[in-house]
Amino acid sequence: MRPPAEAIGDLSLVVGAIALVIFVGVEGALVYAVWRYRDTRGLAGEAARFERNRPLEIAWTAAPALVLAVVFVLMLGTMAEIGGASADPGVRVRVIGHQFWWEFRYGDVVTANELHIPVGTPIDLELTSADVIHSFWVPELGPKRDVVPGATNRLRLLARRPGGYEGQCAEFCGIEHAWMRLRVVAQPHAEFDAWLRAEGSPAAVRGTEGERVFLANICVNCHAARGTEARGSSGPDLTHVGARATLGAGVLPNDVARMRAWLDDPQRHKPGSFMPRVPLEDAELDALAAYMAALR
Amino acid sequence: MIVRLARPPAFATDRTLLGVAVFVASESIFFLAVVLSYIAYRDAGLASAKEHLDIGRTALFSIALFSSSATMALAARGLSRRWLLWTLALGAVFLGGQASEYARLLASGIGPGSALFGTTFFTLTGLHGIHVLGGLVALSALLVAAGRRPAGVRPVAWEAVGMYWHFVDVVWVVVFSVVYLGTLT
Amino acid sequence: MTATALWVRRPAHERVGWLRTVDHKEIGVLYVGMGLVFFALGGIEALVLRAQLATPQARLVDPDVFNQLFTVHGLTMILLAVVPLLVGFANYLVPLMIGAPDVAYPRLNALSFWLSLVGGIVLYFSFVAGGAPNTGWFSYPPLAERAFAPTPGVDYYILGLAVNGAGTIIGAINLAVTILLMRCPGMAISRVPLFVWMTLITAILILGAYPALTAALVMLFVDRQLGGRFFDPAGGGQPVLWQHLFWFFGHPEVYIMVLPAMGMISEVIPVFSRKPIFGYAFVAGSSVAIAFLSFSVWAHHMFAVLGDSENAIFSATSMLIAIPTGVKIFNWIATMVGGRIRLTTAMLFAVGFIAMFVIGGLSGVSLAVVPIDLAVTDSYYVVAHLHYVLFGGTMLGAFAGAYYWFPKMTGRLLDERLGKLHFWLTFAGFNLTFLPMHWLGVVGMPRRVFTYPESTGWGPLNLAATVGAALLAVAMVVFFANVVRSLRSGDIAGDDPWDGFTLEWATTSPPPPGNFAAIPAVTGRRPLWDRKHPERRDQT
Ligand code: HEA
Ligand code: HEA
Ligand code: HEC
Ligand code: CUA
Ligand SMILES: [Cu+2]
Repeated sequence: MRPPAEAIGDLSLVVGAIALVIFVGVEGALVYAVWRYRDTRGLAGEAARFERNRPLEIAWTAAPALVLAVVFVLMLGTMAEIGGASADPGVRVRVIGHQFWWEFRYGDVVTANELHIPVGTPIDLELTSADVIHSFWVPELGPKRDVVPGATNRLRLLARRPGGYEGQCAEFCGIEHAWMRLRVVAQPHAEFDAWLRAEGSPAAVRGTEGERVFLANICVNCHAARGTEARGSSGPDLTHVGARATLGAGVLPNDVARMRAWLDDPQRHKPGSFMPRVPLEDAELDALAAYMAALR
Repeated sequence: MIVRLARPPAFATDRTLLGVAVFVASESIFFLAVVLSYIAYRDAGLASAKEHLDIGRTALFSIALFSSSATMALAARGLSRRWLLWTLALGAVFLGGQASEYARLLASGIGPGSALFGTTFFTLTGLHGIHVLGGLVALSALLVAAGRRPAGVRPVAWEAVGMYWHFVDVVWVVVFSVVYLGTLT
Repeated sequence: MTATALWVRRPAHERVGWLRTVDHKEIGVLYVGMGLVFFALGGIEALVLRAQLATPQARLVDPDVFNQLFTVHGLTMILLAVVPLLVGFANYLVPLMIGAPDVAYPRLNALSFWLSLVGGIVLYFSFVAGGAPNTGWFSYPPLAERAFAPTPGVDYYILGLAVNGAGTIIGAINLAVTILLMRCPGMAISRVPLFVWMTLITAILILGAYPALTAALVMLFVDRQLGGRFFDPAGGGQPVLWQHLFWFFGHPEVYIMVLPAMGMISEVIPVFSRKPIFGYAFVAGSSVAIAFLSFSVWAHHMFAVLGDSENAIFSATSMLIAIPTGVKIFNWIATMVGGRIRLTTAMLFAVGFIAMFVIGGLSGVSLAVVPIDLAVTDSYYVVAHLHYVLFGGTMLGAFAGAYYWFPKMTGRLLDERLGKLHFWLTFAGFNLTFLPMHWLGVVGMPRRVFTYPESTGWGPLNLAATVGAALLAVAMVVFFANVVRSLRSGDIAGDDPWDGFTLEWATTSPPPPGNFAAIPAVTGRRPLWDRKHPERRDQT
């Protein structure tokens, strides 16, 4: 199977070409008519009585119809292809949209905002939402699909080349819609399997001061870190948060300093997001940030 | 009757009647949207509809409304205030019936906020009820005007009010079938 | 009558008369005035949007303000600027064009204007009453439900749109009945000017489309105020139901916004080409086709939620609309062919309409191709499309109409030099603003984002768009200046400054109460032409 993005790209080229021809033709005719028949001598009265020509009118009614018929047929072909009923999926991922972040579930392996997939295999996404309507969109990999609460929509993706692909929520979903971004990381099979294994393993570090702060605060009401007592689910799973490229669904690059800044006051970086500011001592913050960053 | 049909319908030539006709056409789209929404949720609410709706009583009150169409026709033909009064009365009876139905449902804990059935039921029947109320206002206005100076009221005024009243009536035929008879299947 | 009698002259003791006027011309002027004021407001909101988007991660306005601004901008432009502008012109011109003394129901006419205005005021009142609606102009639930939009903004949205819509519906009834029953002797329906014809179609579209919106608003009201479940998935409701109802209104609405403008240029182009319109029957008939089709395409706004089979069907109907629309384009061009074209400002704007609308139309057809739509839906590609048809189409058409009929409404001509400046500034600014958006959408910029990361590389094109918007602002200031200046000291127009074809030019500028000394009788599609050239009367 071809990556849906490629199929759509090809169709767009054809339709674009047709549109360009029509554009040039119509605008050309328009400009020519205006120029050729502009009034130079300022005569009054009637210029001509050319007001009916059935064959001509029938022609320019029929011609577009033919063009559109062609476009329609081409479209059906592409729809069948990107529907991808053919090739069965290598990987199934459950995608849950939240205001304003993404949850990804590979079976019982849970992660957020960063979707890892193997290259060259069709991926089936099962999309649903925990609150309002979102829309899953990674322009380079395929079409959009709306993420509707109370429904499960499917989307088929395929990445040819390894690498990172930027994506984003495309349906307006509230104050931080702009920062509901996501990243797709396409990896060779071996790498992907390794990642999945690692992601499935419990929290890397135990018994640090940072962990104590984490478990001692309300963090645990909303966040889970497998291997610890933190079982919250209204926020992103943090078991391997340190390994992600960004924080807050793209609002900050992920490093200890940024992590500390985020924890210090999420609302400053992502006003309106549903992570509150949790008052902490500087020392606690340092420890906590270090701990989070160490969760890889 | 035959003669009437032979002529072009009055609303094709009279401003007032055409206006009301166009208005009624637009209103039907409005009700169509609400009825279709009700049907979209019918299955979800069917159980509680079966359990809580009282077809018999409502059928009686519906007959009141339906017959009010007849009295309205008579009123319009004869410009008769007596028949107009009858129409008013029958319309009021219907509204009274609907009010008692509401009271009963609300008492048994069914309201617009309770569940899909409540939401859709109260919205659809409520919107119709509001239109009946509007009709009653129009009827009363006509009654008063015709009482004060009968000469001042053009016959089309009677026809216009009638047209609207028949519309409200027809809407109820649909609503009654969808909401109440719909539970029989 | 010379000076700036925007409304009918009255003895001094009745000078506030126009506040309670029932004259169709004064109400028309009120509508146009309302449209212009709200257009300025919506434009200023747009300028703030553009300023915030000019550079990546700007912090000019905070997210919620931005969301309120684009929501109100869209609502303002569509419901409070464009529709009143077009309805206003229709109010002023239809009775004149069909040789009637007034509309069918003058008092209802006033009512519909005031309802429309009050609806708009209600919407704007939300700014000072806890925040404007911030859910986008089509306010999809569940986002628009109480749980996710607790501020009263959406409640003002419901109330404002319902009241404004009631006014629009009443106005449509009035226009429809006027056109159907009040044409002067000889003015067969097959002879009415195309602007009147398209106004009739528009009225029918309004009567069919707006009730669906009202119904949806009622349901949303029940959900928000009475705890209803219509669109609440938790309670078994379906958010998608709202989308069906809204777009059943929403798509016809877009033709409601463009058909009158098409009617305007169908009057302007023949007069300034000194030729009758080419293929009157096809231009008129294609409008009927568009009207029918436009009720069958709404789900092309929902491709990303529906399944392949529905999508294919709605894609087909959407593409079909391109055919009757194309007929119009071709007929307008054919009207110019063989003519003697006077490139007045009005004509420039009419030509601009065709040029820009074709671009918007073609992008529209590309959006009707499901896979392409799934790639660019909810991106700036859509924003580009909608502005090419709405600004490049409707607004340019409305400006053409403004320059063409201003003399009839005021007795004075708009200044042509300022007019041409207005046109070229608009043309340049418009394309600089919206052409880049096509590309932004294709490379992945979603709509309704208050900012974007540097890394996306969207900065330069956004900056270009913002510069274009500033240029548009200048253009609009030029226009408003032209209006103000011409009202005071513009050249006196006389009854028939353009050597026109239709009846409005057969009476004084502005026309007296009652419009005509004697109700005219007509024998063709161009009554005034026939009168001026008895030897070469039209045969139809
Ligand atoms: C005046 C308003 C107006 C007009 C006239 C149109 C005209 C058209 N629109 Fe547009 N549209 C909008 C206003 C308008 N639109 C708005 C406001 C939105 C966004 C709403 C929102 O989400 O906020 C929108 C969105 C929109 C979408 C949804 C995009 C999305 O959200 O994913 C689609 C999809 O099919 C679409 C299609 C079309 C089509 C097929 C036409 C056709 O009618 C165009 C027909 C015209 C031509 C094609 C050009 C002339 C024809 C020829 C020269 C003949 C030859 C041509 C061919 C053979 C192709 N429009
Ligand atoms: C007729 C309809 C119409 C018109 C004319 C416009 C005009 C403009 N629009 Fe708008 N727009 C919409 C309809 C329209 N828009 C709709 C429906 C949406 C979707 C909303 C949504 O997503 O919910 C939208 C969304 C929209 C967006 C996307 C917002 C987002 O998705 O985040 C943007 C961004 O650039 C934008 C920009 C503009 C600009 C720059 C103009 C310019 O053309 C404006 C030009 C006018 C001015 C600059 C005003 C000039 C006046 C003055 C300077 C004052 C002078 C006054 C006196 C002298 C008295 N519009
Ligand atoms: C009320 C719920 C809640 C509480 C309490 C909470 N968070 Fe969060 N947290 C969230 C939500 C929701 C997000 C996602 C924010 C967004 O991206 O919009 C988040 C995001 C994060 C992120 C970024 C994750 C990512 O991948 O982007 C980190 C790290 C984090 N929280 C750590 C913490 C810590 C440590 C605490 C305690 C000091 C805490 N959170 C308290 C809800 C909460
Ligand atoms: Cu989620 Cu936009
Ligand atoms: Cu549409």
